Amino acid sequence: MSSYRLPKRGLVDRDAPLSFTFDGRPMQGLEGDTLASALLANGRMLVGRSFKYHRPRGILTAGAAEPNALVTVGRGGRAEPNTRATMQELYDGLEARSQNRWPSLDVDIGALNGLLSPFLGAGFYYKTFMWPAPLWEKLYEPVIRRAAGLGKASYETDPDAYEKSWAHCDLLVIGAGPTGLAAALTAGRAGARVILVDEGSLPGGSLLSDTATIDGKAAADFARDTSDELRSMPNVRVLMRTTAFGWYDGNVFGAVERVQKHVREPASHLPVERLWRIVAGKALLATGAEERPLVFGGNDRPGVMMAGAMRAYLNRYGVAPGRASAIFTTNDTGYTLAQDLEAAGVDVVAIVDSRPAAGIDYRGRARLVREAVVCGTKGGKAISAIEVLHGGRTETIAVDSLAMAGGFDPIIHLACHRGGKPVWSAEKAAFLAPGSLKGLEAAGGAAATTGLAACLGEGAARAEAIVRGLGLSCPPVALAKVESDEGIHSPAPLWSIPGVKDKAFVDFQNDVHLKDIGLAVREGYSHVELAKRYTTSGMATDQGKLSNVNAIGLIAKARGVSPAEVGTTTFRPFYTPVSFGALTGAHTGHHFQPVRKSPLHDWAKKHGAVFVETGLWYRSSWFPLSGERTWRESVEREVLNVRKNAGLCDVSMLGKIEISGSDAAEFLNRVYCNAFLKLPVGKARYGLMLREDGFIYDDGTTSRLEENRFFMTTTTAYAAGVMNHLEFCQQVLWPELDVRLASITDQWAQMAIAGPKARMILQKIVDEDISDAAFPYLAAKEVSLFSGAIHGCLFRISFSGELAYELAVPAGYGESVADALLEAGKDHGIMPYGVETLSVLRIEKGHVTHNEINGTVVPADLGFGKMVSASKPDFVGKAMLQREGLTAPDRPQLVGVVPLDPQQSFRSGSHILAKGAAATLENDEGYVTSSAHSPHVGSTVALALVKNGRNRHGEEVLVWSGLHGQSTPARLCNPVFFDPQNERLHV
Amino acid sequence: MSEFRPILRPALGSKQTVASADFRLSPLPEGTIIHVLARPGQEDIAPLLGRFTDAAPHALRPVSPDQWFIISDAPIPHPEMKSLFAALGPRATGVDQSHGRVRIRIEGKMARRALSKGTALDLDPSAFPIGQSAVTLIGHIAAHVTCVGADTFEIIVLRGFAESLWDDLARMGLEFG
Repeated sequence: MSSYRLPKRGLVDRDAPLSFTFDGRPMQGLEGDTLASALLANGRMLVGRSFKYHRPRGILTAGAAEPNALVTVGRGGRAEPNTRATMQELYDGLEARSQNRWPSLDVDIGALNGLLSPFLGAGFYYKTFMWPAPLWEKLYEPVIRRAAGLGKASYETDPDAYEKSWAHCDLLVIGAGPTGLAAALTAGRAGARVILVDEGSLPGGSLLSDTATIDGKAAADFARDTSDELRSMPNVRVLMRTTAFGWYDGNVFGAVERVQKHVREPASHLPVERLWRIVAGKALLATGAEERPLVFGGNDRPGVMMAGAMRAYLNRYGVAPGRASAIFTTNDTGYTLAQDLEAAGVDVVAIVDSRPAAGIDYRGRARLVREAVVCGTKGGKAISAIEVLHGGRTETIAVDSLAMAGGFDPIIHLACHRGGKPVWSAEKAAFLAPGSLKGLEAAGGAAATTGLAACLGEGAARAEAIVRGLGLSCPPVALAKVESDEGIHSPAPLWSIPGVKDKAFVDFQNDVHLKDIGLAVREGYSHVELAKRYTTSGMATDQGKLSNVNAIGLIAKARGVSPAEVGTTTFRPFYTPVSFGALTGAHTGHHFQPVRKSPLHDWAKKHGAVFVETGLWYRSSWFPLSGERTWRESVEREVLNVRKNAGLCDVSMLGKIEISGSDAAEFLNRVYCNAFLKLPVGKARYGLMLREDGFIYDDGTTSRLEENRFFMTTTTAYAAGVMNHLEFCQQVLWPELDVRLASITDQWAQMAIAGPKARMILQKIVDEDISDAAFPYLAAKEVSLFSGAIHGCLFRISFSGELAYELAVPAGYGESVADALLEAGKDHGIMPYGVETLSVLRIEKGHVTHNEINGTVVPADLGFGKMVSASKPDFVGKAMLQREGLTAPDRPQLVGVVPLDPQQSFRSGSHILAKGAAATLENDEGYVTSSAHSPHVGSTVALALVKNGRNRHGEEVLVWSGLHGQSTPARLCNPVFFDPQNERLHV
Repeated sequence: MSEFRPILRPALGSKQTVASADFRLSPLPEGTIIHVLARPGQEDIAPLLGRFTDAAPHALRPVSPDQWFIISDAPIPHPEMKSLFAALGPRATGVDQSHGRVRIRIEGKMARRALSKGTALDLDPSAFPIGQSAVTLIGHIAAHVTCVGADTFEIIVLRGFAESLWDDLARMGLEFG
């Protein structure tokens, strides 16, 4: 017989039927069901195929540890593989599909693997598929991967939203079972800020399937009433459907809330999952205990179930496992289950107890077989009989379901995420949380406490101590009166069972059975970490929640030592799988990364700019006019217009730092390798900033606007880095200096106005005289604009080699000022230009950027050797700049490169080879750092870093790009292609 | 072009207030933000700075050790700004950030919940009372947060990131709309 729904019993809503499908077959469940309970209610006991042998598998648990009942839920982008049917709440329209089977769950060709099982033991692929070696990647691995496995991820885009959130509390209670509820209630009533999380949909944990009464109320009603009170408290937050998955430094816990995984159509204004980072003053681990399976032959046959799970299906979901059940137990919980089954009308055929006597007075109808074990099962896709070994004889008993109760393992996963190792307790026959953890303690079942009354009392007591530790007064919470409590005495563990013939599974999800563990020990992999990797026990999505302790016990037995000596593998987050969606949160699509917009962004946009992402900035790349077909057409027009008339370029994204204080000049003198101490007020100077190791860090102009106030510009890319560097220098290197640093990048809209007509255009809006006499090259000052309407800063500096200015105005006025400049320059031919043109202009002029300042060059390499002050007592990088290697004659030096044939071109990144030299690493002379087509020169022009380059002007070389298959004869030359006498700067 | 009068374009000029019963997000006027940096080793000048504010509540906000923002809804004319800077010296430097920073107000019963989707700050009144300021990250964006009322916060963000942060905040408040 199969499992079925009982006519009454349970917390499911019998007036709320829900339709769902499993492998396309329509089924009915009830509100309050999990997919697992609904499948069982429909008599569906076979729900999956095992990883390696494709054995038929049923539902083993009723919770997070489920290794077998993994299904794919949903379709398209919402399809979620490896969903535990035991955790998936049922909703109307749910579509579930079984996994790892072909062509169907009932008829699975992969089950033939079972015939090959003698060859497929632990580590078989290390031994079996060694030769010929090339076949591993081409044949063996693909075939093995195809035959074994779990569900498949969807390639479609996930349509749903995810988010992350922080939360803070005095006490985080993990687990809303009896211990957790009592703790949260105690702390909540005391006024502490409490967060209670639980992975289930209803608070209560084990109370939801318990038949005990608390203060005269059914356990489930007590759970409901307690959680109602908690929810009514403003200082308590109850997060259901939330799994705490990790414990991190600073007592921060990671948790994932399944906000809308239980609905058919997620609401668009809510995420489907929310990742919580909970900062807890203290945390109480009230996660309960996991029931330990028993390792007997055929323990994986559908119909075999954990005893606690069977009780949950019976009492919480009103689902009977069958009509003739047996119970295999090592402790008294088996008897409690028997009583519940009988009360529900299920015939308990036998209770097989490994002990000589029970600690409970059982008066039911079941046959008691003491000092006996179940050593095997019979059946195909469902169990039909058990083989019981007692008194040296094996007896076959017909059953349609079997519960196994092997004791309990405290769920202490989180307590071990920060380096602590579980500690074996011989008394409790279980691994316990490491002692004296800072900020976290375990209580209740998680501390191997048994019995409902004891757990309630312990939860309350621990919370009271924590609350008092916070300095809050804690009114006593009356201890609840519990009736029909089950006191479980810690049983002796039953690692291995005599008489086993069939495969006895230790790890259900990975198909690791008893013999695999033995093989690992025999072959020298008896260390627990090695055994895990050799056998794969404890891997995959369940991470050995059911199997680890049994594996350790078996290894210990094989080695003849205590489990304490074997120890556990390392526990790491995540406790259960967390989706990439939750980890990514809201940072997808438009929100993937912030966009940093220049104050001239909209101005550029209205002039048709094509934007390019530069870090987080969107920079205007070029401004196509109608009729222009290629970007180069636009760029060349812009370049020629700047050289002939004038152009306006947005340079707002350059880093800008205001440096003030009575020691500001001295500070800059130490930060830059060139002199700044005596820079006159009203003057700008190009500065080179070195790293401590002597290489150039960044460059830019710094202007002295007042005696003790400087306006520094940095490159766009290094703006934040330079600010950090300066703060380090200020705070750590020279705290004695009176220096103050303020980032003013965003305060100013800054535009370059370049070209022979720049002055006459600019003069129309600047109130002060900016003639060459009044405002010469490298002048810098605050100016008033539009008859004093606004004020800005004007710098006569040039990146283009033309008469040029940079004008900074308050950002909110940027667009308006740029509009005014275009209007003022309309008759002079002014046009906007973008960073592509900026680049062509600077390459023509031989100006460097971070293409050349690549982290491996010193000032002399770029021709700035004379800038480096020889007289300053110190500056950042001075000492290391003297290193032998940084002054060697064959260092790369900046040169210009032009193709011999102007019709030919080459690319940045190409290597320089001496004429006639083969393209080998040894012959590499350097590389092209920047290149562009120069309308002025009429060919490609480039800058390059070439060994001893300054002494090789005029030499013919080969520009070689292996990536593009290009070889271009070229000539090294002066890197300044345009106006080498700088005449245009000074007009 | 002496007759030309430049137009001020607020960074969040295109954004409409997002409002519901429990959550409201609004851009604040681009008035005045002055970044004050005290001379190192200077005695605490916070008490002195009060006289440079317009006496509105929370007009003076700590930024970091020895640094503050002076906030005003109204712009300060250029000569007044210069006078203020002069008055601050030599104990402190004033830097005009009125255009470099943008203020956003987030208020309502769910303001904390929405903000906690971006910031690790504990915004509970017991930990972050009215008047408290802190520099934090909201998602990927650095911001300065001040609690200015019972359920009301002001965020100061770099102008270039203002639109991005606005979009993020609006999304964080979506479920409360």
